[in-house]
Amino acid sequence: MSGVEIALTLLVAGLAALDATPVGQTLVSQPLVTAAALGAVWGDMGTALAVGAVLQVLAASTLPVGARTPEDYASGGVVGAALALALAAREPFPMARDAAALLGCLGGMVAATLGVPIVKWQRRRNEGLARWAEAALRAGDAGALASAHRAAVVLAFAAGVTYAAVSLAVLLPATAPLVGGASLKLSRAWALAQPLWIGLGLAQLLHAFVQRRLTRAAVFAAALLVGWLTRIVGMP
Amino acid sequence: MALRCMCLQATWNYERQQGLGFAWALQPALERLVADRAARLERLAAHTAYFNTQPTLASLAVGATAALEARRAAGEADDASLARVKAALGSSLAALGDRLFWFTLRPVAALGGLLLAVDGRWEGALVLVACYNGLHLGVRVLGVGWGWRRGPAVLDEAFRRRVERLVRGLAVLGCAAVGVLVAMLLVPVAGMRPVVFQAALAAGLGVGFVTAQRARPSPTEWALGVGTLCVLATWFR
Repeated sequence: MSGVEIALTLLVAGLAALDATPVGQTLVSQPLVTAAALGAVWGDMGTALAVGAVLQVLAASTLPVGARTPEDYASGGVVGAALALALAAREPFPMARDAAALLGCLGGMVAATLGVPIVKWQRRRNEGLARWAEAALRAGDAGALASAHRAAVVLAFAAGVTYAAVSLAVLLPATAPLVGGASLKLSRAWALAQPLWIGLGLAQLLHAFVQRRLTRAAVFAAALLVGWLTRIVGMP
Repeated sequence: MALRCMCLQATWNYERQQGLGFAWALQPALERLVADRAARLERLAAHTAYFNTQPTLASLAVGATAALEARRAAGEADDASLARVKAALGSSLAALGDRLFWFTLRPVAALGGLLLAVDGRWEGALVLVACYNGLHLGVRVLGVGWGWRRGPAVLDEAFRRRVERLVRGLAVLGCAAVGVLVAMLLVPVAGMRPVVFQAALAAGLGVGFVTAQRARPSPTEWALGVGTLCVLATWFR
Protein backbone atom coordinates (compact mmCIF):
# COMPACT_ATOMS: atom_id res chain seq x y z
CA MET A 1 0.00 0.00 0.00
CA SER A 2 1.83 3.11 -1.24
CA GLY A 3 1.31 6.77 -0.45
CA VAL A 4 0.06 7.40 -3.99
CA GLU A 5 -2.62 4.71 -3.65
CA ILE A 6 -3.78 6.15 -0.32
CA ALA A 7 -3.81 9.72 -1.66
CA LEU A 8 -5.76 8.73 -4.80
CA THR A 9 -8.23 6.68 -2.74
CA LEU A 10 -8.94 9.67 -0.51
CA LEU A 11 -9.24 11.92 -3.57
CA VAL A 12 -11.86 9.53 -5.01
CA ALA A 13 -13.66 9.63 -1.63
CA GLY A 14 -13.74 13.44 -1.69
CA LEU A 15 -14.97 13.61 -5.28
CA ALA A 16 -17.64 10.97 -4.59
CA ALA A 17 -18.84 12.98 -1.57
CA LEU A 18 -19.15 16.05 -3.83
CA ASP A 19 -21.04 14.23 -6.58
CA ALA A 20 -23.45 12.49 -4.19
CA THR A 21 -25.36 15.66 -3.26
CA PRO A 22 -23.57 19.04 -3.50
CA VAL A 23 -22.30 19.06 -7.10
CA GLY A 24 -23.79 17.47 -10.21
CA GLN A 25 -25.36 14.18 -9.03
CA THR A 26 -23.93 12.57 -12.18
CA LEU A 27 -23.72 9.13 -10.47
CA VAL A 28 -19.90 9.01 -10.61
CA SER A 29 -20.26 8.54 -6.84
CA GLN A 30 -22.05 5.19 -7.32
CA PRO A 31 -20.18 2.18 -5.88
CA LEU A 32 -19.57 0.50 -9.26
CA VAL A 33 -17.92 3.63 -10.67
CA THR A 34 -15.76 4.39 -7.62
CA ALA A 35 -14.82 0.69 -7.33
CA ALA A 36 -13.68 0.63 -11.00
CA ALA A 37 -11.61 3.78 -10.40
CA LEU A 38 -10.03 2.28 -7.27
CA GLY A 39 -9.45 -1.03 -9.10
CA ALA A 40 -7.41 0.89 -11.68
CA VAL A 41 -5.49 2.73 -8.94
CA TRP A 42 -4.70 -0.46 -6.96
CA GLY A 43 -4.19 -2.69 -10.02
CA ASP A 44 -6.81 -5.32 -9.01
CA MET A 45 -9.96 -4.86 -11.06
CA GLY A 46 -11.39 -8.31 -10.19
CA THR A 47 -11.67 -7.68 -6.44
CA ALA A 48 -12.83 -4.09 -6.98
CA LEU A 49 -15.66 -5.11 -9.35
CA ALA A 50 -16.76 -8.02 -7.11
CA VAL A 51 -17.27 -5.58 -4.21
CA GLY A 52 -18.54 -2.77 -6.44
CA ALA A 53 -21.23 -4.97 -8.03
CA VAL A 54 -22.67 -6.10 -4.67
CA LEU A 55 -22.68 -2.58 -3.22
CA GLN A 56 -24.12 -1.20 -6.48
CA VAL A 57 -27.10 -3.56 -6.40
CA LEU A 58 -27.82 -2.52 -2.81
CA ALA A 59 -27.28 1.19 -3.57
CA ALA A 60 -29.65 1.02 -6.56
CA SER A 61 -32.35 -0.61 -4.41
CA THR A 62 -31.97 2.06 -1.70
CA LEU A 63 -34.45 4.83 -2.44
CA PRO A 64 -34.93 8.18 -0.69
CA VAL A 65 -38.52 7.37 0.36
CA GLY A 66 -40.33 10.09 2.34
CA ALA A 67 -38.24 11.94 4.91
CA ARG A 68 -35.80 9.05 5.34
CA THR A 69 -32.14 9.86 4.61
CA PRO A 70 -30.84 6.88 2.59
CA GLU A 71 -27.54 5.14 3.35
CA ASP A 72 -24.47 7.05 2.17
CA TYR A 73 -23.24 4.71 -0.58
CA ALA A 74 -20.89 7.37 -1.97
CA SER A 75 -18.71 6.89 1.12
CA GLY A 76 -19.68 3.25 1.63
CA GLY A 77 -18.66 2.34 -1.94
CA VAL A 78 -15.21 3.90 -1.59
CA VAL A 79 -14.57 2.47 1.89
CA GLY A 80 -15.78 -1.03 0.89
CA ALA A 81 -13.74 -1.26 -2.32
CA ALA A 82 -10.61 0.30 -0.76
CA LEU A 83 -10.80 -2.02 2.26
CA ALA A 84 -11.11 -5.12 0.04
CA LEU A 85 -8.27 -3.96 -2.22
CA ALA A 86 -5.95 -3.19 0.69
CA LEU A 87 -6.69 -6.57 2.33
CA ALA A 88 -6.31 -8.50 -0.96
CA ALA A 89 -2.99 -6.77 -1.66
CA ARG A 90 -1.52 -8.24 1.56
CA GLU A 91 -2.42 -11.90 0.84
CA PRO A 92 -2.00 -12.85 -2.84
CA PHE A 93 -4.13 -16.07 -2.77
CA PRO A 94 -7.57 -16.50 -4.45
CA MET A 95 -9.11 -17.61 -1.14
CA ALA A 96 -7.78 -14.50 0.62
CA ARG A 97 -9.20 -12.40 -2.22
CA ASP A 98 -12.68 -13.81 -1.59
CA ALA A 99 -12.28 -13.18 2.15
CA ALA A 100 -11.19 -9.60 1.39
CA ALA A 101 -14.22 -9.10 -0.88
CA LEU A 102 -16.58 -10.31 1.88
CA LEU A 103 -15.04 -8.01 4.48
CA GLY A 104 -15.00 -5.15 1.96
CA CYS A 105 -18.74 -5.54 1.30
CA LEU A 106 -19.56 -5.72 5.01
CA GLY A 107 -17.26 -2.75 5.72
CA GLY A 108 -18.87 -0.78 2.88
CA MET A 109 -22.39 -1.44 4.19
CA VAL A 110 -21.40 -0.44 7.73
CA ALA A 111 -19.69 2.73 6.43
CA ALA A 112 -22.75 3.59 4.31
CA THR A 113 -25.04 3.17 7.34
CA LEU A 114 -22.82 5.11 9.76
CA GLY A 115 -22.32 7.85 7.15
CA VAL A 116 -25.95 8.99 7.49
CA PRO A 117 -25.37 11.06 10.68
CA ILE A 118 -22.47 12.85 8.93
CA VAL A 119 -24.73 13.77 6.00
CA LYS A 120 -27.33 15.07 8.49
CA TRP A 121 -24.63 17.04 10.36
CA GLN A 122 -23.60 18.77 7.11
CA ARG A 123 -27.22 19.65 6.38
CA ARG A 124 -27.59 21.20 9.84
CA ARG A 125 -24.36 23.20 9.33
CA ASN A 126 -25.82 24.48 6.05
CA GLU A 127 -28.80 25.94 7.94
CA GLY A 128 -26.45 28.43 9.62
CA LEU A 129 -24.81 29.14 6.28
CA ALA A 130 -28.21 29.88 4.67
CA ARG A 131 -29.22 32.27 7.47
CA TRP A 132 -25.86 34.05 7.24
CA ALA A 133 -26.14 34.38 3.43
CA GLU A 134 -29.62 35.89 3.63
CA ALA A 135 -28.53 38.41 6.28
CA ALA A 136 -25.40 39.29 4.26
CA LEU A 137 -27.50 39.83 1.11
CA ARG A 138 -29.85 42.16 2.98
CA ALA A 139 -26.79 44.00 4.32
CA GLY A 140 -25.61 44.57 0.72
CA ASP A 141 -23.03 41.79 0.20
CA ALA A 142 -23.70 40.54 -3.38
CA GLY A 143 -21.01 37.86 -3.10
CA ALA A 144 -22.60 36.13 -0.08
CA LEU A 145 -24.27 33.40 -2.14
CA ALA A 146 -21.03 32.47 -3.91
CA SER A 147 -19.14 32.43 -0.57
CA ALA A 148 -21.80 30.20 1.02
CA HIS A 149 -21.60 27.75 -1.89
CA ARG A 150 -17.79 27.66 -1.76
CA ALA A 151 -17.91 26.93 1.97
CA ALA A 152 -20.50 24.15 1.57
CA VAL A 153 -18.54 22.47 -1.25
CA VAL A 154 -15.28 22.58 0.75
CA LEU A 155 -17.09 21.18 3.82
CA ALA A 156 -18.58 18.28 1.81
CA PHE A 157 -15.22 17.41 0.24
CA ALA A 158 -13.41 17.55 3.59
CA ALA A 159 -16.12 15.49 5.31
CA GLY A 160 -15.93 12.82 2.56
CA VAL A 161 -12.13 12.57 2.72
CA THR A 162 -12.02 12.54 6.54
CA TYR A 163 -14.78 9.96 6.90
CA ALA A 164 -13.14 7.60 4.39
CA ALA A 165 -9.72 8.03 6.05
CA VAL A 166 -11.08 7.37 9.56
CA SER A 167 -13.18 4.39 8.41
CA LEU A 168 -10.20 2.77 6.67
CA ALA A 169 -7.90 3.51 9.60
CA VAL A 170 -10.33 1.69 11.92
CA LEU A 171 -11.46 -1.17 9.64
CA LEU A 172 -8.12 -2.15 8.07
CA PRO A 173 -6.24 -3.12 11.26
CA ALA A 174 -9.41 -4.72 12.67
CA THR A 175 -10.01 -6.99 9.66
CA ALA A 176 -6.45 -7.76 8.45
CA PRO A 177 -5.86 -10.58 11.01
CA LEU A 178 -9.12 -12.24 9.88
CA VAL A 179 -7.94 -12.47 6.27
CA GLY A 180 -4.59 -13.84 7.41
CA GLY A 181 -6.01 -16.40 9.87
CA ALA A 182 -9.50 -17.35 8.72
CA SER A 183 -9.53 -16.87 4.95
CA LEU A 184 -10.95 -20.37 4.32
CA LYS A 185 -14.01 -19.75 6.50
CA LEU A 186 -14.49 -16.25 5.13
CA SER A 187 -14.18 -17.38 1.51
CA ARG A 188 -16.94 -19.96 2.17
CA ALA A 189 -19.06 -17.21 3.67
CA TRP A 190 -18.42 -15.11 0.53
CA ALA A 191 -19.58 -17.98 -1.71
CA LEU A 192 -22.87 -17.94 0.21
CA ALA A 193 -23.29 -14.21 0.89
CA GLN A 194 -22.47 -12.83 -2.59
CA PRO A 195 -25.43 -14.45 -4.44
CA LEU A 196 -27.73 -13.79 -1.46
CA TRP A 197 -26.86 -10.08 -1.46
CA ILE A 198 -27.20 -9.74 -5.24
CA GLY A 199 -30.51 -11.67 -5.23
CA LEU A 200 -31.87 -9.56 -2.38
CA GLY A 201 -31.03 -6.30 -4.16
CA LEU A 202 -32.30 -7.45 -7.58
CA ALA A 203 -35.62 -8.57 -6.07
CA GLN A 204 -36.08 -5.11 -4.55
CA LEU A 205 -35.42 -3.51 -7.95
CA LEU A 206 -37.73 -5.91 -9.76
CA HIS A 207 -40.48 -5.29 -7.21
CA ALA A 208 -40.16 -1.53 -7.81
CA PHE A 209 -40.27 -1.97 -11.61
CA VAL A 210 -43.10 -4.52 -11.84
CA GLN A 211 -45.59 -2.73 -9.52
CA ARG A 212 -48.05 -5.63 -9.76
CA ARG A 213 -48.34 -5.39 -13.55
CA LEU A 214 -48.49 -8.81 -15.18
CA THR A 215 -47.05 -7.61 -18.50
CA ARG A 216 -43.88 -6.39 -16.79
CA ALA A 217 -43.52 -9.66 -14.87
CA ALA A 218 -43.86 -11.47 -18.20
CA VAL A 219 -41.12 -9.27 -19.71
CA PHE A 220 -38.83 -10.25 -16.80
CA ALA A 221 -39.59 -13.96 -17.27
CA ALA A 222 -39.08 -13.80 -21.06
CA ALA A 223 -35.77 -11.92 -20.66
CA LEU A 224 -34.59 -14.45 -18.07
CA LEU A 225 -35.44 -17.39 -20.34
CA VAL A 226 -33.91 -15.85 -23.49
CA GLY A 227 -30.80 -14.72 -21.58
CA TRP A 228 -30.36 -18.15 -20.01
CA LEU A 229 -30.76 -20.00 -23.34
CA THR A 230 -28.35 -17.60 -25.09
CA ARG A 231 -25.71 -18.16 -22.40
CA ILE A 232 -26.19 -21.94 -22.45
CA VAL A 233 -25.82 -22.07 -26.25
CA GLY A 234 -22.73 -19.83 -26.15
CA MET A 235 -21.09 -21.84 -23.34
CA PRO A 236 -17.57 -23.20 -24.10
CA MET B 1 -27.25 29.60 -14.87
CA ALA B 2 -27.22 25.99 -16.11
CA LEU B 3 -23.78 25.48 -14.55
CA ARG B 4 -24.96 27.01 -11.29
CA CYS B 5 -27.90 24.59 -11.28
CA MET B 6 -25.29 21.83 -10.87
CA CYS B 7 -24.65 23.21 -7.37
CA LEU B 8 -28.34 23.59 -6.49
CA GLN B 9 -27.98 21.15 -3.59
CA ALA B 10 -24.57 22.32 -2.31
CA THR B 11 -26.17 24.20 0.58
CA TRP B 12 -29.15 21.81 1.05
CA ASN B 13 -30.47 22.10 4.61
CA TYR B 14 -33.55 21.09 6.60
CA GLU B 15 -34.82 24.66 6.98
CA ARG B 16 -34.83 25.99 3.39
CA GLN B 17 -33.73 22.86 1.49
CA GLN B 18 -32.64 24.13 -1.98
CA GLY B 19 -33.55 27.78 -1.32
CA LEU B 20 -30.01 29.16 -1.25
CA GLY B 21 -28.96 27.17 -4.32
CA PHE B 22 -32.02 28.38 -6.21
CA ALA B 23 -31.19 32.02 -5.45
CA TRP B 24 -27.57 31.52 -6.56
CA ALA B 25 -28.67 29.90 -9.83
CA LEU B 26 -31.07 32.78 -10.47
CA GLN B 27 -28.51 35.52 -9.67
CA PRO B 28 -27.23 36.05 -13.29
CA ALA B 29 -30.81 36.56 -14.54
CA LEU B 30 -31.64 39.05 -11.78
CA GLU B 31 -28.44 40.98 -12.52
CA ARG B 32 -29.78 41.59 -16.04
CA LEU B 33 -33.42 42.11 -15.12
CA VAL B 34 -33.20 44.30 -12.00
CA ALA B 35 -31.00 47.35 -12.56
CA ASP B 36 -31.24 48.79 -9.03
CA ARG B 37 -28.65 47.05 -6.78
CA ALA B 38 -30.64 47.29 -3.54
CA ALA B 39 -33.81 45.96 -5.20
CA ARG B 40 -31.84 43.14 -6.80
CA LEU B 41 -30.31 42.06 -3.49
CA GLU B 42 -33.77 42.18 -1.91
CA ARG B 43 -35.11 39.87 -4.64
CA LEU B 44 -32.15 37.51 -4.17
CA ALA B 45 -32.73 37.44 -0.40
CA ALA B 46 -36.41 36.63 -1.03
CA HIS B 47 -35.42 33.70 -3.27
CA THR B 48 -33.32 32.15 -0.46
CA ALA B 49 -36.63 31.10 1.18
CA TYR B 50 -37.77 27.45 1.22
CA PHE B 51 -37.72 25.70 -2.13
CA ASN B 52 -37.43 22.01 -2.97
CA THR B 53 -37.77 19.90 -6.07
CA GLN B 54 -36.01 17.10 -7.92
CA PRO B 55 -32.56 18.60 -8.70
CA THR B 56 -32.39 17.68 -12.42
CA LEU B 57 -35.79 19.16 -13.29
CA ALA B 58 -34.99 22.19 -11.09
CA SER B 59 -33.37 23.71 -14.21
CA LEU B 60 -36.87 24.10 -15.69
CA ALA B 61 -38.07 25.84 -12.51
CA VAL B 62 -35.06 28.18 -12.52
CA GLY B 63 -35.69 29.14 -16.17
CA ALA B 64 -39.44 29.57 -15.65
CA THR B 65 -38.87 31.69 -12.52
CA ALA B 66 -36.42 33.89 -14.45
CA ALA B 67 -39.16 34.40 -17.08
CA LEU B 68 -41.58 35.38 -14.29
CA GLU B 69 -38.99 37.79 -12.88
CA ALA B 70 -38.80 39.40 -16.34
CA ARG B 71 -42.60 39.85 -16.29
CA ARG B 72 -42.40 41.24 -12.75
CA ALA B 73 -39.70 43.73 -13.84
CA ALA B 74 -42.07 44.81 -16.66
CA GLY B 75 -44.89 45.26 -14.11
CA GLU B 76 -46.92 42.30 -15.41
CA ALA B 77 -46.63 40.11 -12.27
CA ASP B 78 -46.42 40.67 -8.51
CA ASP B 79 -44.34 39.03 -5.75
CA ALA B 80 -47.20 36.92 -4.39
CA SER B 81 -48.14 35.34 -7.73
CA LEU B 82 -44.47 34.69 -8.50
CA ALA B 83 -44.01 32.89 -5.17
CA ARG B 84 -47.18 30.83 -5.77
CA VAL B 85 -46.12 29.71 -9.25
CA LYS B 86 -42.60 28.91 -8.01
CA ALA B 87 -43.96 26.71 -5.20
CA ALA B 88 -46.36 24.94 -7.57
CA LEU B 89 -43.55 24.29 -10.08
CA GLY B 90 -41.36 22.90 -7.28
CA SER B 91 -43.85 20.33 -6.04
CA SER B 92 -45.06 19.26 -9.51
CA LEU B 93 -41.54 18.86 -10.90
CA ALA B 94 -40.53 16.93 -7.77
CA ALA B 95 -43.36 14.43 -8.28
CA LEU B 96 -42.37 13.85 -11.92
CA GLY B 97 -38.59 14.04 -11.44
CA ASP B 98 -38.41 11.68 -8.46
CA ARG B 99 -40.22 8.98 -10.43
CA LEU B 100 -38.22 9.52 -13.62
CA PHE B 101 -34.69 10.07 -12.30
CA TRP B 102 -34.46 8.53 -8.79
CA PHE B 103 -36.90 5.63 -8.99
CA THR B 104 -36.50 4.57 -12.63
CA LEU B 105 -33.54 5.93 -14.61
CA ARG B 106 -30.99 5.54 -11.79
CA PRO B 107 -31.76 1.81 -11.21
CA VAL B 108 -31.93 1.15 -14.98
CA ALA B 109 -28.52 2.82 -15.49
CA ALA B 110 -27.13 0.77 -12.59
CA LEU B 111 -28.45 -2.43 -14.18
CA GLY B 112 -26.85 -1.43 -17.51
CA GLY B 113 -23.50 -1.13 -15.74
CA LEU B 114 -23.97 -4.37 -13.80
CA LEU B 115 -24.66 -6.35 -16.99
CA LEU B 116 -21.01 -5.76 -17.94
CA ALA B 117 -19.54 -5.72 -14.43
CA VAL B 118 -20.73 -9.27 -13.59
CA ASP B 119 -18.52 -10.51 -16.44
CA GLY B 120 -15.60 -8.63 -14.87
CA ARG B 121 -15.64 -5.76 -17.35
CA TRP B 122 -14.80 -2.32 -15.95
CA GLU B 123 -16.61 -0.66 -18.89
CA GLY B 124 -19.79 -1.27 -16.88
CA ALA B 125 -18.90 1.82 -14.84
CA LEU B 126 -18.80 3.92 -18.02
CA VAL B 127 -22.12 2.48 -19.22
CA LEU B 128 -23.76 3.39 -15.88
CA VAL B 129 -22.56 7.00 -16.07
CA ALA B 130 -23.38 7.36 -19.80
CA CYS B 131 -26.90 5.84 -19.46
CA TYR B 132 -27.84 8.26 -16.69
CA ASN B 133 -26.16 11.42 -17.92
CA GLY B 134 -27.49 11.33 -21.48
CA LEU B 135 -30.82 12.51 -20.10
CA HIS B 136 -29.68 14.03 -16.79
CA LEU B 137 -27.07 16.42 -18.20
CA GLY B 138 -29.22 17.16 -21.24
CA VAL B 139 -32.11 18.36 -19.05
CA ARG B 140 -29.77 20.18 -16.68
CA VAL B 141 -28.03 22.14 -19.42
CA LEU B 142 -30.96 22.75 -21.77
CA GLY B 143 -33.68 22.96 -19.10
CA VAL B 144 -32.97 26.57 -18.08
CA GLY B 145 -33.41 27.85 -21.64
CA TRP B 146 -36.53 25.72 -22.08
CA GLY B 147 -38.05 27.07 -18.84
CA TRP B 148 -37.12 30.65 -19.79
CA ARG B 149 -38.81 30.40 -23.21
CA ARG B 150 -42.02 28.69 -22.01
CA GLY B 151 -42.37 30.16 -18.51
CA PRO B 152 -44.74 28.30 -16.14
CA ALA B 153 -46.33 26.64 -19.22
CA VAL B 154 -43.24 24.42 -19.39
CA LEU B 155 -45.09 22.02 -17.12
CA ASP B 156 -48.04 21.45 -19.46
CA GLU B 157 -50.03 18.28 -20.06
CA ALA B 158 -47.88 17.23 -23.06
CA PHE B 159 -44.72 17.36 -20.92
CA ARG B 160 -46.34 15.28 -18.18
CA ARG B 161 -47.50 12.70 -20.71
CA ARG B 162 -44.01 12.47 -22.23
CA VAL B 163 -42.46 11.91 -18.79
CA GLU B 164 -45.07 9.27 -17.89
CA ARG B 165 -44.43 7.42 -21.17
CA LEU B 166 -40.69 7.53 -20.54
CA VAL B 167 -41.12 6.19 -16.97
CA ARG B 168 -43.28 3.30 -18.22
CA GLY B 169 -40.81 2.45 -21.00
CA LEU B 170 -37.84 2.54 -18.64
CA ALA B 171 -39.66 0.34 -16.10
CA VAL B 172 -40.23 -2.33 -18.79
CA LEU B 173 -36.57 -2.04 -19.82
CA GLY B 174 -35.61 -2.43 -16.13
CA CYS B 175 -37.66 -5.67 -15.87
CA ALA B 176 -35.88 -7.06 -18.95
CA ALA B 177 -32.47 -6.00 -17.61
CA VAL B 178 -33.09 -7.78 -14.27
CA GLY B 179 -34.09 -10.94 -16.18
CA VAL B 180 -30.96 -10.90 -18.35
CA LEU B 181 -28.77 -10.15 -15.31
CA VAL B 182 -30.16 -13.12 -13.36
CA ALA B 183 -29.53 -15.34 -16.41
CA MET B 184 -25.95 -14.05 -16.67
CA LEU B 185 -25.37 -14.72 -12.98
CA LEU B 186 -26.66 -18.27 -13.31
CA VAL B 187 -24.59 -19.01 -16.42
CA PRO B 188 -21.38 -16.94 -16.44
CA VAL B 189 -18.94 -16.93 -19.37
CA ALA B 190 -16.77 -19.66 -17.80
CA GLY B 191 -19.63 -22.21 -17.47
CA MET B 192 -22.44 -23.18 -15.09
CA ARG B 193 -22.30 -21.91 -11.52
CA PRO B 194 -22.27 -24.41 -8.64
CA VAL B 195 -25.66 -25.46 -7.26
CA VAL B 196 -24.89 -23.63 -3.99
CA PHE B 197 -24.60 -20.35 -5.89
CA GLN B 198 -27.86 -20.93 -7.79
CA ALA B 199 -29.71 -21.90 -4.61
CA ALA B 200 -28.33 -18.88 -2.72
CA LEU B 201 -29.29 -16.53 -5.58
CA ALA B 202 -32.83 -17.97 -5.59
CA ALA B 203 -33.00 -17.62 -1.80
CA GLY B 204 -31.77 -14.02 -2.07
CA LEU B 205 -34.47 -13.24 -4.65
CA GLY B 206 -37.09 -14.81 -2.37
CA VAL B 207 -35.95 -12.87 0.70
CA GLY B 208 -35.81 -9.71 -1.44
CA PHE B 209 -39.43 -10.09 -2.61
CA VAL B 210 -40.64 -10.61 0.96
CA THR B 211 -38.64 -7.69 2.38
CA ALA B 212 -39.63 -5.37 -0.48
CA GLN B 213 -43.21 -5.31 0.87
CA ARG B 214 -42.10 -3.00 3.70
CA ALA B 215 -39.91 0.11 3.62
CA ARG B 216 -38.13 -0.86 6.86
CA PRO B 217 -35.72 -2.45 7.59
CA SER B 218 -33.90 -1.05 4.54
CA PRO B 219 -32.25 -3.37 1.95
CA THR B 220 -28.86 -2.50 3.46
CA GLU B 221 -30.00 -3.48 6.96
CA TRP B 222 -31.30 -6.78 5.58
CA ALA B 223 -28.04 -7.33 3.69
CA LEU B 224 -26.00 -6.68 6.85
CA GLY B 225 -28.12 -9.23 8.72
CA VAL B 226 -27.81 -11.81 5.93
CA GLY B 227 -24.04 -11.25 5.68
CA THR B 228 -23.56 -11.66 9.43
CA LEU B 229 -25.58 -14.90 9.36
CA CYS B 230 -23.42 -16.25 6.51
CA VAL B 231 -20.22 -15.49 8.46
CA LEU B 232 -21.61 -17.10 11.64
CA ALA B 233 -22.87 -20.15 9.72
CA THR B 234 -19.48 -20.84 8.12
CA TRP B 235 -17.52 -19.88 11.26
CA PHE B 236 -19.23 -22.35 13.60
CA ARG B 237 -19.83 -25.09 11.03
